[in-house]
Amino acid sequence: MKIVVAYKWAPNPQDAVVATTGEVDLSRAKPAVSEYDPVAFELARRLADATGGEVVGLTVGGPSIDTPLSRKAALSRGLDRLVVVADAELEDADGTRIATVLAAAVRAIGDVDLVLAGDSSIDVAQGQVPLTLAGVLGWLGLAAVSAVTAADGGLVVERSLPGGTTVVAVPTPAVLAATADAVVPRVAGMKDILGAAKKPVEVLDLAALDVPAPGATLATLATAKPAGGERTATIFDGSSPAGAAAQLVGALRQAGAL
Amino acid sequence: MTAEATEPDFDVIVVGAGPAGSVTAYLLAQQGHSVVLIERGEAPGAKNLSGGVLYGRVLDEVFPGFAEEAPVERRITRHVTTFLTGDSSVSVDYAGRPLAEPVNAVTVLRAKFDAWLAERAEEAGVFLMPGVRVDELLREEGPAGPQVVGVRAGDDELRARVVVAADGVNSFLARSAGLRSKPPEHHLAVGVKAVISLPRTVIEDRFAVTGDEGAAHAIVGDCTLGIGGGGFLYTNTDSLSVGVVLRLDDLLKHGRTAAEVFDHYLAHPVLAPYLRGGEMVEYGSHLVAEGGLEMLGSVVTGGMVVVGEAAGLTINSGLTVRGMDLAIGSAVAAARGIGEAIAADDVTATGLSAYRRHLDDSFVVKDLRTYERAPSFLERDRMYGAYGELAAGIFHDVFAMDGTPRKHLVTVAREAFKRSPLRLRDVISDGWAGVRAL
Repeated sequence: MKIVVAYKWAPNPQDAVVATTGEVDLSRAKPAVSEYDPVAFELARRLADATGGEVVGLTVGGPSIDTPLSRKAALSRGLDRLVVVADAELEDADGTRIATVLAAAVRAIGDVDLVLAGDSSIDVAQGQVPLTLAGVLGWLGLAAVSAVTAADGGLVVERSLPGGTTVVAVPTPAVLAATADAVVPRVAGMKDILGAAKKPVEVLDLAALDVPAPGATLATLATAKPAGGERTATIFDGSSPAGAAAQLVGALRQAGAL
Repeated sequence: MTAEATEPDFDVIVVGAGPAGSVTAYLLAQQGHSVVLIERGEAPGAKNLSGGVLYGRVLDEVFPGFAEEAPVERRITRHVTTFLTGDSSVSVDYAGRPLAEPVNAVTVLRAKFDAWLAERAEEAGVFLMPGVRVDELLREEGPAGPQVVGVRAGDDELRARVVVAADGVNSFLARSAGLRSKPPEHHLAVGVKAVISLPRTVIEDRFAVTGDEGAAHAIVGDCTLGIGGGGFLYTNTDSLSVGVVLRLDDLLKHGRTAAEVFDHYLAHPVLAPYLRGGEMVEYGSHLVAEGGLEMLGSVVTGGMVVVGEAAGLTINSGLTVRGMDLAIGSAVAAARGIGEAIAADDVTATGLSAYRRHLDDSFVVKDLRTYERAPSFLERDRMYGAYGELAAGIFHDVFAMDGTPRKHLVTVAREAFKRSPLRLRDVISDGWAGVRAL
């Protein structure tokens, strides 16, 4: 089975600056593999090991996504090789554009059975790219995937949905977007990082890929952070811990929380 | 163990991608050695507190013209030293264009600067390995006694002919190799630091600097509530770094917390106008070794050397706090010494002692000797209270036109001195100690 993991080289949320207004500034954050994507690496590796397949990393974006650091960061997490499309034209590309470039790269890689991705990126967090990619490829696309195993001629996929979980049989090729807690991804060790430097990296030229010209572009009109929940901001007198605990329990009962 | 397993993976393993580690790695790679640079943070610079003033001459020797290329914030052309009391201040302000060329001091933000240094190392062929925490040293009995032969992180072991400990003030590696015992508390200080963001034009107006020029303030006295230590304030491009360095033993003795002293400092009427309207974008705390030559431990053992703050290389002269330039100086000496030891095929403590010789000949140890007495001089309590009061008293009497007849400056000083709790013999003793220390 040939598995492609589509991942994003994105700002590391550990470096995020949260302003007093509650706005999050990622402009000074150092880049890393987007927070939820290592889950996809891990699912892909386990599936490939179980079926004797290959795992190909794939990332697209501006020129800064292709550095020795970024290559090692991805290749040390269980990939066999890496394919990169880094072009200034993709610097601030929207999700639709990214998905069409990913689709062209998946076709260029060829004979791909499965594309795995994290549910959403850490910075844009719209969760749109994997399913748009499926649409552009004309493949089956499923989000909220919490487990995947190989079965005769296809995959058995568990999905974690608001109403509960479902287990479905999925024919390949397909695109699956994994939930952030589907598996615990491995932490790269020294040997993994040393090994990463020896793995092949293929750089695809955007101009040489068969990507349709971008359609309509998005204009953001307004942004606002989500409304916070109503808080009562009650402070209990803590001089007697037992008394404070009793008051807290009483208040929680009254609010119907207990 | 098979012969294959004991074959080193690299000539040199450097642990810690700060200035000391990255420069050591860079210079060794330039000599043609295979070098791996292991960093605990996800990227070099990630684990670092805001930054500092870098006295840049030594780095200029490694990377000529670095100030043009590297992400430096401002060139310091103005040094201000201020004695504070509760409500007044006396400053010595030295502004000099000669300080700007060739570059004497620049401010840097370490998140950017360390990343730049590590990139230079990577370009020179160093294998950069971020996101790895070294758990222990690998040691074996060699013909010349115990020898460090590599490191272990998680399940993986890496072997090298020489390990360089560049893992900072708390150097776990230097301690586990028995090169440093836990330092006494009066040689440790706690630094609390914040970065305050302000528009660059506001900074230039408030600090009377233009373009990429900047100012560094050293502040002693009431800013630390009388606790041994001092405050600093310096300009980055569009932010200020502001903080206090407090002697740990004195802080405990006064029963204060570092955060309390820091809040007092930020709110001090002399400091507050510089910071007004700014937004705190970073806040953190860091242990500082401030014992000068006394803290410089043994820097060499079989198969391993210690560089930078891990070796105890800092100078706090009261007027300047230095660490990064000494770190880079030690890196230059270490790279030469390690190169010679590997060429001579002797990486035992004897072979690596070439590093200590180069270090002794460098400005690093010479400056440590020059300021040898500074730490104990700065431990004199009067430095943090009475002198500021005295200086403020003198200048108050000089400038307060209260209708009384003016007196000669000498008389003013004598009277202010009489009011001060200071005794002449203390002043002579402190003055002499200060002259010898600084």
